[in-house]
Amino acid sequence: MTKSSFFASASALCLGLLLSLGPASQANAAAKCIKGDRKAPYTIGWANIYSVPTWMKQTQGTIEAEIETLKKQGLVDKLVVTDAQGDANVQIQQIQSMIDSDVDAIILIAGSSTAPARVLAAACAKGIAIINFDSLVDTDQVTAKVNTDSAQWGDQAAKFLIDAIGGKGKILVLNGPAGVSVSDDRRKGADAALKAHPEVTVVAETNTPYNVAPAQEAVTSLLFANSEIDGILSLGGALSAGAVLALDKQGREQVPITGENARQFLELWKEKGLKSWATMQPNWLGAFATYTAVQALEGKDVPAFVKIPLPVIDNSNIDQYLARAADFPADGYIYSPYDEDLFKKLLAEQ
Amino acid sequence: MSTVGSSRQAGALYWPVQLRRNVGVRGLFAVVMAFLVAYGFLFPGLFTASGFAKFTQSWFPLALVAMAQAILMLTGGISLAIGAMVSLGAVIAATTMTGPLGVAGGATAVALTGVGIGGATGFIVVKLRLPAIVVTLAGSFIIGGAALLILPRPGGAIPEWLSDLLAGNTPAAFVLLVLIVLLWKLYLATPLGLSLYAAGENPVGAYRSGVPVDGARVAAYAISGLLCTGAGLFVAAQTGSGDPIIGTAFTLNSIAAAVLGGIGFLGGQGTMRGALAGSLLLSLMISVMFFLGFTPVAQYVAQGLIIIGAVAIPQFRKVQR
Repeated sequence: MTKSSFFASASALCLGLLLSLGPASQANAAAKCIKGDRKAPYTIGWANIYSVPTWMKQTQGTIEAEIETLKKQGLVDKLVVTDAQGDANVQIQQIQSMIDSDVDAIILIAGSSTAPARVLAAACAKGIAIINFDSLVDTDQVTAKVNTDSAQWGDQAAKFLIDAIGGKGKILVLNGPAGVSVSDDRRKGADAALKAHPEVTVVAETNTPYNVAPAQEAVTSLLFANSEIDGILSLGGALSAGAVLALDKQGREQVPITGENARQFLELWKEKGLKSWATMQPNWLGAFATYTAVQALEGKDVPAFVKIPLPVIDNSNIDQYLARAADFPADGYIYSPYDEDLFKKLLAEQ
Repeated sequence: MSTVGSSRQAGALYWPVQLRRNVGVRGLFAVVMAFLVAYGFLFPGLFTASGFAKFTQSWFPLALVAMAQAILMLTGGISLAIGAMVSLGAVIAATTMTGPLGVAGGATAVALTGVGIGGATGFIVVKLRLPAIVVTLAGSFIIGGAALLILPRPGGAIPEWLSDLLAGNTPAAFVLLVLIVLLWKLYLATPLGLSLYAAGENPVGAYRSGVPVDGARVAAYAISGLLCTGAGLFVAAQTGSGDPIIGTAFTLNSIAAAVLGGIGFLGGQGTMRGALAGSLLLSLMISVMFFLGFTPVAQYVAQGLIIIGAVAIPQFRKVQR
C-alpha cells in the first residue's frame, strides 16, 4: 500500500517534471533544419534569382554590409553569391551546388514558388539553415520565411487614398504586371476598402511593368479620356513617378496619390508639394535574412514566418527620407533605416 | 551510300566515318572534357552515386531539349516553342499524375500531347510551306497560354515515388539518356531517319531521288515535340510540382546548345553528339563557375567567352590548315 502510493507519487512527480520541462525544452529547441553540428564562422550562400534590377543590387548591398558586420563578430567567414539569370531551373542547380560545397546557410529569393521545394528539402535534411525572403516558396522545409504583406499594402494604400479624397470621387488604379503574384495580391488587398466606399469610382486600371516610362504612357492616355480624376491609387514601384509626370506634362493639377519608396517619386512628391503616402518592400530584408540565418545556426529559435510591418512614408516624415537621398542610386529605393536592434525586435515580436 | 556495299565493308567503314563526323566538334569535346575534369577536381563528391545522379539530373532536361532542337535544325527547321512545350509537359504531368489518370495515364497524356502538337506544327510548316520561325513563335504563345490555362499558378503534384525514381539518388536520368541516344541511333537506321539529313541538306535533290522529304520533316517535328514534353515531365518530377513558365529559358538554351554542338542553321549539318556535348557544356559551366567562386558579374562575362571559345577553336584549326 505505502509502496504503491510511493510509486504513484513518484511517477506523478516525474510526470509533473516532464510536463514542466516539456515547454521549456521546446522553447530552447533549435529552429527548423538546424542540427547544431555547424560551428562559426559560417559560410553563407545567397541564391539570387536575378541580379540586374536596381532593387536587387540594393538588396545585395544590404546583405554584403551585414556579412561585413558578422565577419567582424567572427560569425561568418564567407559569402557565396549565385545569380540564376531569371531561370528557376538554373537556381535549382545552383542551390544543389551550394549543398555540394556544404555551405552553412542559404538565403534565397525564389524564382518559382514550387520548383525549388525538393532541392530545399535536401538542403534542410543536411542541416543547412534556409531563410527565404521576398519571393516565397510553398514548402515548409525551410528554417524561416521573411516578407511584408502585399494584401496589407493594398489595403493601407486604398484607405489612405479614400481618406485623402474625402470618401468620394473618381480614381485611377495603377497595377504592376498582370499575373505576377505581388501585383495581384496588392490589388486584391485594396478591394475591401474600395467596396466599402461605393462613392469612390474606379474609372480605369492599368497593368504595366514597375517602370516610369510605361506607366507615364498609360496614364497619359487615360488622362486624355478622363477629364476629371480625383485621385490615383498606384500600387508600387515607379508607377507613381510616371503618373505624376503625366499629370505635369498635361498641365493638370496634381491629385492625391499613393506610391512606393522609389527615390524619383519621393523627390517629385517634395517638388510638386503632393499629399501622398508610400510604403516599401525594404531592401534590408536581405540583411535581415542573413542575420536570421546566423541566429538560427547559433541555436536560437527563430519563427517559421517573420512578417515585416510595412514602413510608412507620409507628409510627416518624407523630409527624413529625402535627407538621406544622396546615399541611394537615382533610380533606386530609399529604404527605412535599420540596425541590429530592429532585427532583434522583429525576431522577438513574432 | 555505304549500305550498298557488303556488310563487312560497311562495318569497316563505320568507325572512320564516325571519326570524320567528329572533326568539327573535336574542340568542343576537348573543352567539355576539360570542364568535366575541373568539376571532378573541384567537387570530388561528383564520383559518388548521389553526386553523379544530381549532376546528370541538372543536365538531363537541357540534353533533351538540345536534341529536340537539333533534330529540327538538321532538317532545316527551328523551333521557338521549345520552352513552352516543356512548360506544357510539366503542367500536364503535375495535374494528371496524382488524379484518376495515374502515372501511366499522365505519362501517356504528356507523350500524346508532345507528338500531337509537334506533328501538327510540322504539318503546318511543311505542308502549308510557312516559315518555321514564324509558326513556332506563334505556337509558343498558344502553347504557353495553354500551360497557363491548365495551371494558372505554380502547383500540382507528382507522386513522391516517381520523383525519387527519376530524380532521387540514382542515376536513372543518365540511364534514360543513354537509352534515348540508342533509340536515336536506331531511328537513324530507319528509312525516315536516313531521310532526315538528306531532307535538310538538299531537299530538292533528295525529293528527286525518292526520299520522303515531307514525311521526314513532319516526323522530326513530332519527335521534337515528344522530347520537349518528356523534358517537361522530368522537370515536374525533379521539382515535385508544375510551374506554367518553368520552361521559358529552354528555348534559347536549346538553340545555344545545338549551335555550340556544330549544328548548322541551314540544315543537314552537324551531329547529335555535338548537340549533347553543347548542352553538357552549358550545364557544366554553371556548376564549375560556382565552385571556382566567380561572382555573378564575372559569370556573365565568362559564359560568353567560353561559348565563343568553344565555337572558335575548330574555326582557328580550319584556318591554320
